[in-house]
Amino acid sequence: MSGPAGPVAAEPTSLYAAQQKIYPREVDGRFDRLRRLAVWLLLGLFYLLPWLPWAGRQSVLFDLPARKFYVFGLVFWPQDFFYLTWLLVIAGVSLFFCTALAGRLWCGYACPQTVWTEVFLRVEYWFEGDRHRRIRLDRGPWTRGKILRKAGKHTAWIVLALWTGLTFVGFFTPIRQLGAEVLALATGPWESFWILFYGAATWGNAGFLREQVCVYMCPYARFQSAMFDRDTLIIAYDPARGEPRGSRARRADPRAAGLGDCIDCRACVQACPTGIDIRNGLQYECIACAACVDACDSVMDRMGYARGLIRYTSQQALEGRGTHVIRPRMLVYGALLGLLIAGFFVSLALRTPVGLDLMRDRNALYRTLPGGRIENVYLVRIVNKDTRRHRYVLQAAGLPGIVLDTDAREHVVGPGDVYSVAARVRVPAAAAHGSQLIRVQVRAVDEPRFAVEREARFLGP
Amino acid sequence: MPPTESPPRSADDDAPAAVGWSQLAQDVAVTLWPAFLAAAVATMFFFAFFDPSLLGAGAVPPRWLQSRMAGYAVGFFFFWSIGTLSSALTLYLVRTAHQRQAPPAARTRGPM
Repeated sequence: MSGPAGPVAAEPTSLYAAQQKIYPREVDGRFDRLRRLAVWLLLGLFYLLPWLPWAGRQSVLFDLPARKFYVFGLVFWPQDFFYLTWLLVIAGVSLFFCTALAGRLWCGYACPQTVWTEVFLRVEYWFEGDRHRRIRLDRGPWTRGKILRKAGKHTAWIVLALWTGLTFVGFFTPIRQLGAEVLALATGPWESFWILFYGAATWGNAGFLREQVCVYMCPYARFQSAMFDRDTLIIAYDPARGEPRGSRARRADPRAAGLGDCIDCRACVQACPTGIDIRNGLQYECIACAACVDACDSVMDRMGYARGLIRYTSQQALEGRGTHVIRPRMLVYGALLGLLIAGFFVSLALRTPVGLDLMRDRNALYRTLPGGRIENVYLVRIVNKDTRRHRYVLQAAGLPGIVLDTDAREHVVGPGDVYSVAARVRVPAAAAHGSQLIRVQVRAVDEPRFAVEREARFLGP
Repeated sequence: MPPTESPPRSADDDAPAAVGWSQLAQDVAVTLWPAFLAAAVATMFFFAFFDPSLLGAGAVPPRWLQSRMAGYAVGFFFFWSIGTLSSALTLYLVRTAHQRQAPPAARTRGPM
């Protein structure tokens, strides 16, 4: 075993050594195209979704100032936070499931760090050229051309980063209004702050930190090995086929020279965004981006060798055994994931889209009316979580002869609105003594299954 | 397993060998980043249950808290700074404990 993944040598001189830059080499191939497709899809979704209207408002809006979350036709309130937690749990278990099945697919194709780094690298390529040119440019003197290229790159990066910041804030505050404010240079202090903060984070993460984030900062990179087993899909170099490595003439027969298929061109090392050598075996720095696979395949094509010296495979397959896709770990993760997702949608479908809060009027405990009835006053809040307007009625139950009275018989509440009304609950004196529990129900007249009930305390003499 | 000796470099590979972050950069990263993640989760949970415009010790929230956006931001940075403090202390304790456990080879030699 060689140890590039071992601890950094603890020599005092290396403590504050400057970081050496990684210049990943451009590759073209199946997996690179797949990643570009994923980048287009995911970033397209991110940048366009907040602009998409839905039923007269923004399709996805986590309206923090108003404390309401809109996701297409659904409206969530802080009380529905449980759903968000549930979604996070589903996301976590999906990650477990996908990791056990196919390794670090997330890292290579979907992680925001990867996706934005890919875009920033593309911009860098437009301005500074390929890997070889970039290295030369960085080493060369500060000529006019270098200054122009660097300035152009950073301008494009900063515009992209600020646009990302604006989009991010646009998920939390209405984006059309925000866009107009930006054009008028009249954004509020906190909007400006978050646009700049998120913009700066994008610029720094995708422009400078890049895959070093995966190596040093990502917890998933460290604990993903717990989800791996010998059947998990990994990217690996096939040493049985490649070794002994060595350069050779294109037409030479490697077997005659006593060589394997690896020509030791280091294309895989140069393509690696985290700067590792995949030929040293599976390392936690590997984000499974498959850039080395593409790089190696193109070399194999040129040499006239079969593709797949570096490939998606499993430890089992590398050792000449079959890979088992269905195995206990997959069944357990899969069943758990299925249950969580099914439960989520069932509970979402059964969700009553009306909320009810009751608060006792603090001015008087109770009031005795002429005719001997006892009255308690409550402040009632009706929350319409549906996307349509509804008419609601209130009712009280729980004591003999109980009556609930409000100024209007029906209460019209707009979609996503909160409506407050004072409710006077009256009970014949004979039934009211001390503190008793009553039930108050709100029900939509036009949709009787939209009903909820709350308990309240009724006070009497 | 492949051989351990490093292969000769091809001619176009004139880039410096990539080495990682300095210890300082790593320390800063592992202090700030977990605290950031924890602060994001804490902010989400906290403000799901408490409306920032209803917080404050007195009957009326302090002036800077009257905009909800300000409340969220202050809350987030508060959680982040507490998390950073915790991360930094953990890092410090792990580091100093490690130094004590180092093999006493250097000490047994005694003063020069």
